[in-house]
Amino acid sequence: MSQRRRIRIVVGKVGCDIHERGALTLARALRDAGMEVIYTGRYQTPEAVAKTAVDEGVDVIALSDHTGSMRLIAVDVLEALKKHDGAGIHVVAGGLIPGKDLPALKKMGVTGNYGPGTPLDVIVRHISSLVDSG
Amino acid sequence: MAKSEVAFNRSLGGMVRAETQSGIPVKQVYTPTDVEHSEYGRDLADPGRYPYTRGIYPEMYRNRLWIKSFIVSYSTPEETNRAFKEYIAAGQTGLRLLADLPIQTGIDPDHPSSWNSMMCGGMSSYSLDSYEKALDGLPLENVDYELAHSSISSPLFFYSLLVALMEERGLNPANLRGSAINDPFRANIVYGCPDFPTEIARRVCLDLIEFGARHTPKWKAYAPNGVDPQQSGLDAVQEVSEVLGVATAVYEDIISERGLKLDDIGATVFSMDAESDFFETIAKFRATRRMWARIAKEKLGATTERAMSLRIGIRTSGLSLQTQKPLNNAARVTLQILSCVLGGVNSIDASSIDEAIGLPSREVRMFNLDTQHIITHEANVPLVADPLGGSYYLEWLTNRIEEGACKELEEIERRGGMWECLKSGWLRQRIDLSRIKVQQEIAEGKRLIVGVNAFQGEEGPISRAIERTSYKVPSKQARLKNIASVRRLRRTRDQQAVSGALRELYRAAGESRNVVRPVIEAAKARATIGEVVGVIRMAYGYDYDPLQQIATPAFIRELVKMS
Repeated sequence: MSQRRRIRIVVGKVGCDIHERGALTLARALRDAGMEVIYTGRYQTPEAVAKTAVDEGVDVIALSDHTGSMRLIAVDVLEALKKHDGAGIHVVAGGLIPGKDLPALKKMGVTGNYGPGTPLDVIVRHISSLVDSG
Repeated sequence: MAKSEVAFNRSLGGMVRAETQSGIPVKQVYTPTDVEHSEYGRDLADPGRYPYTRGIYPEMYRNRLWIKSFIVSYSTPEETNRAFKEYIAAGQTGLRLLADLPIQTGIDPDHPSSWNSMMCGGMSSYSLDSYEKALDGLPLENVDYELAHSSISSPLFFYSLLVALMEERGLNPANLRGSAINDPFRANIVYGCPDFPTEIARRVCLDLIEFGARHTPKWKAYAPNGVDPQQSGLDAVQEVSEVLGVATAVYEDIISERGLKLDDIGATVFSMDAESDFFETIAKFRATRRMWARIAKEKLGATTERAMSLRIGIRTSGLSLQTQKPLNNAARVTLQILSCVLGGVNSIDASSIDEAIGLPSREVRMFNLDTQHIITHEANVPLVADPLGGSYYLEWLTNRIEEGACKELEEIERRGGMWECLKSGWLRQRIDLSRIKVQQEIAEGKRLIVGVNAFQGEEGPISRAIERTSYKVPSKQARLKNIASVRRLRRTRDQQAVSGALRELYRAAGESRNVVRPVIEAAKARATIGEVVGVIRMAYGYDYDPLQQIATPAFIRELVKMS
């Protein structure tokens, strides 16, 4: 990772989900792994998360949600990314994601889809390899 | 090694820690010398006697079991109503309500930011119509209702709905029982609730306590909350200092600003967490009761038993429950409930074994209730008050938690008190630092969580079934239907009555009068939570929309102009 610029990533929370511990823990782990992390905070619109990602020129958006609505959130964020010419930004997800939504998320190109308790180094490695593979 | 052989390791599963979950170092054994400074009459006393360390009633559970409570709030009022009736028949005795996440934020279902979390985590209860349906056929008098929301606009709105519903049904609100978490500190430091900035949240919190003391004396309008700060990071000792600090700060304000005495307010309930560390959790409840009794008497001038004896309402730790091998959560929840009963608490909301997957299914809720029935009727645990009282370890640990919490409270005092520590960010930072410490311990294997960073193993069909059967959030269609229903309400209600009631609310808030009665009247006129929140915000000079995404509705612009 030393040969090129640091990975830039937005950790985003969309809607009114108040559960923040996962997002904060992840943001810290990514920072410790040498990435530049922008945490959006809670109560964001899909539009705002996508726009922040594009404006900040990030490689990845990591969405965190514990309401069970990741599928709806991902649809909206991906659409907003397209609108803002950010379709090349990778989207990864984590939190409470219902098993039945996994195939749809995968089909949309949302990867990771990690549940609670996932070792943080697994997530860090996944994000690094995503960016490495372009 | 031949294929059929297994490597035998006698030490696999051995202990890795020499300290409690909160990091209190403990010896292998405790003896009378560890508690030689304790005095029975001063520090323990019989149950029902000051300082209530051993429990607040002499006869404890013989006369009255703890309230068996848990959140019953599914996406729609109809589902919630059906579930309540079923659980009451199975022995539920506390009716705990929770709104969905957008409503707790103070916005209506048709707000653009509602969509992605609408009907998630609770009921989309945007108006009195929702409560009419959810509580249809349920008693309102002398039943314990509990409101467990994150923000301050929620206890304001939902307490008002309960009073409005009683008045509409011709019942006497003086017979409303129960409690509301109404904690402006937690709303800010844990949730960053956008509905009310702290200056409004503080005032509304006091309005609720004042109105409650005068009109619904059996209702505990103010339950400081330690559960969520702990779930966000605090350890047990810090949680004790958090709830005691919050309670003291708010009561000092109510005494100095509203002319009430603690004796007038009646009983206080703290909403606390039951964590996985068994003895630490028991000791925490005992230490908190003792500390509250002393603070209430010595610092806040309480003279009645009711004001000095602390009720403790529990929500068992959701954070401790895992998605990996969820069957194991049955063991965790059972131990946590047991620690609550041994700690003499007054109400238990036990998390469900599918907590980490979705909202609880019907069967796991029944399991919650049955666990409590088994503890009562088969294990005979509640037969004797404070059965562990006098244990050298438990008494030492109770003292140790008290000492630790006192130190934290002194630190807060040194930093200018609770409100100042809220403003400076110190209270939030305390949560973050503790959270990071726990995370490091998990990563380094100093803290083992079965199925997560130790003993992972394979999941079997029972665990998979738990995953499959947990309650799933509603589809797009259900959300669209909900948006249509709030729009229908706006079209069909008596618009003049709504405008009149909201105008009075705007004036009351602007003139620093108590806003509770105007909110009750607005609720009766079918104002929505978004409108109530918006009008109060505007009276304080803030934008109507807490998230600053929608314009002020025309009729509200109009009524503000006319005021």
